[in-house]
Amino acid sequence: MFLKKFINKPENVVDEMVEGFLAAHSDVVRKLETSRVLVRKEAPIEGKVGLVTGGGSGHKPAFIGYIGENLLDAVAVGDIFASPSAKQIYDAIKACDSGKGVLCVLGNYSGDVMNFDMAVEMARDEGIKVEQVIINDDVGSAPKEKKENRRGVAGEVVVWKAIGAKAAKGASLEEVKEIAERVNNNTRSMGVAHSPCAVPSKMYGGEPTFTLGEMEMEIGVGHHGEPGVKRMQMKTADEITEMLTEPVLKDLPFEKGDRVSVLINGLGSTSLLEMYIIYRKLTQILEDKGISIAISWIGEFFTSLEMGGFSITLTRLDDELEELLKMPARAPLFRYP
Amino acid sequence: MVSSKIVSILQEIVKVLEGKQEELNRLDANIGDGDHGRTVAGAFKNVLKQEKELEGKDIGEALQIIGRTLAFSTGAATGPLYGSAFIEAGKKLKGKEKLSLEDWKEALSGAVEGVKRRGKAEVGDKTMLDTLYPMAKSLEDSIEKGESLKEALLKAKDAAKRGMESTKELVSKRGRSSRLGERTKGHIDPGAASSYYVIETIIKSCLKGE
Repeated sequence: MFLKKFINKPENVVDEMVEGFLAAHSDVVRKLETSRVLVRKEAPIEGKVGLVTGGGSGHKPAFIGYIGENLLDAVAVGDIFASPSAKQIYDAIKACDSGKGVLCVLGNYSGDVMNFDMAVEMARDEGIKVEQVIINDDVGSAPKEKKENRRGVAGEVVVWKAIGAKAAKGASLEEVKEIAERVNNNTRSMGVAHSPCAVPSKMYGGEPTFTLGEMEMEIGVGHHGEPGVKRMQMKTADEITEMLTEPVLKDLPFEKGDRVSVLINGLGSTSLLEMYIIYRKLTQILEDKGISIAISWIGEFFTSLEMGGFSITLTRLDDELEELLKMPARAPLFRYP
Repeated sequence: MVSSKIVSILQEIVKVLEGKQEELNRLDANIGDGDHGRTVAGAFKNVLKQEKELEGKDIGEALQIIGRTLAFSTGAATGPLYGSAFIEAGKKLKGKEKLSLEDWKEALSGAVEGVKRRGKAEVGDKTMLDTLYPMAKSLEDSIEKGESLKEALLKAKDAAKRGMESTKELVSKRGRSSRLGERTKGHIDPGAASSYYVIETIIKSCLKGE
């Protein structure tokens, strides 16, 4: 099975994408001269904690689409599905530190964790105040007792929105870090996919890294083309929504009276048409449980190339988190309200 | 000259890894996202760009420079792990211009420790450690038996190969592939394979003409 793509030489995919992105959004973003790091034009911003993230390419709008006002300051851009290098992350940290310190947020993947660790060490050696928070919201990837093994998935977007707002208010590094941890601890996600993605490796496309039978789907799917945890026959949108929401609700647990933000995240080739059908069922489930929805985001926020699938992310809110998530924000690929 | 020998070994490594790129990508596609061949070949190609930095350095310094480039400029899990292996090996070879069997053993032990510490893996987790550790053990063994350097290196190379092959039946416990659990059985680990090819190339180059 070969998945076709509109690319030139496969080895130039990410660099060419970056060039195009810069051309389209040069009013907001610039690239460091000697490093594949994209930085907010105004960075470093006096009196504001710098916000750095990074990860593999192939997840658009993540990560670079979130660089902007009341959002992120710098992003280290890795190869497709691969962690950026420690040097890139270190360069990103330096580029947005105005003296108030830098918070790094990353998904729980061994490559990213190792490279961020080294970069943070290097930056600290130079006297830069840096902290990091590792996101691990994916219920599908490990049981609750092994939460430290869970992947970071779409929940990271909610973290970015919250810290973007908190940092913009002039909060200290410790305060911004606490918000990142609070959102992470109160967020749970779960995904499903029925068709794979392919890393561009040949002319005109690439082979998917897993195949599913014609009527199969996979629950607990990953964001890098790695298959998930349980494979089964396709079900209806309502049934699948129940299958994903139930473990998410149980895991925190979310309770009657809770207020939540909802993120329905398309993984790349799932239509908005489908996502609204899913959201319809989700609202019924939450109403039934006495859980109210303060904010909802439906669309593509953290994709996996052209994977056919979606994830549901719920975050339990308190007054402060709700206020932060509702703060206006503007970036090339994310706008609120 | 030490550095010119090291540079020629690096060139050989790049050549071999480029030749093995498809195979390594395929191994990685089985249990990951299919890019390990490209990543590790690119990593060493990048190191070659630092050729000038290696001039006049002894073996220990050269390995640390190579390691730092690998660790900081590669990305993926490959960079930090290979980088740690070379840096820690290099630390054991301070001032050396020629290597004895004892030096080789020290270097490999260093590499094993570096990878263990950085990657938080154990032998048997289905990683490059399963290639490096048997090699280190084999060298220790050869020292005890009083074998010649050449004999010891050839034995160590075989031990590394068997270590790589042993990863086939292991269940992955570290890294992205660990998410797949039992599904990783029946597939050789790509990092174990690439580290074998790197070590095989180094040993072959060092023994050339002996």
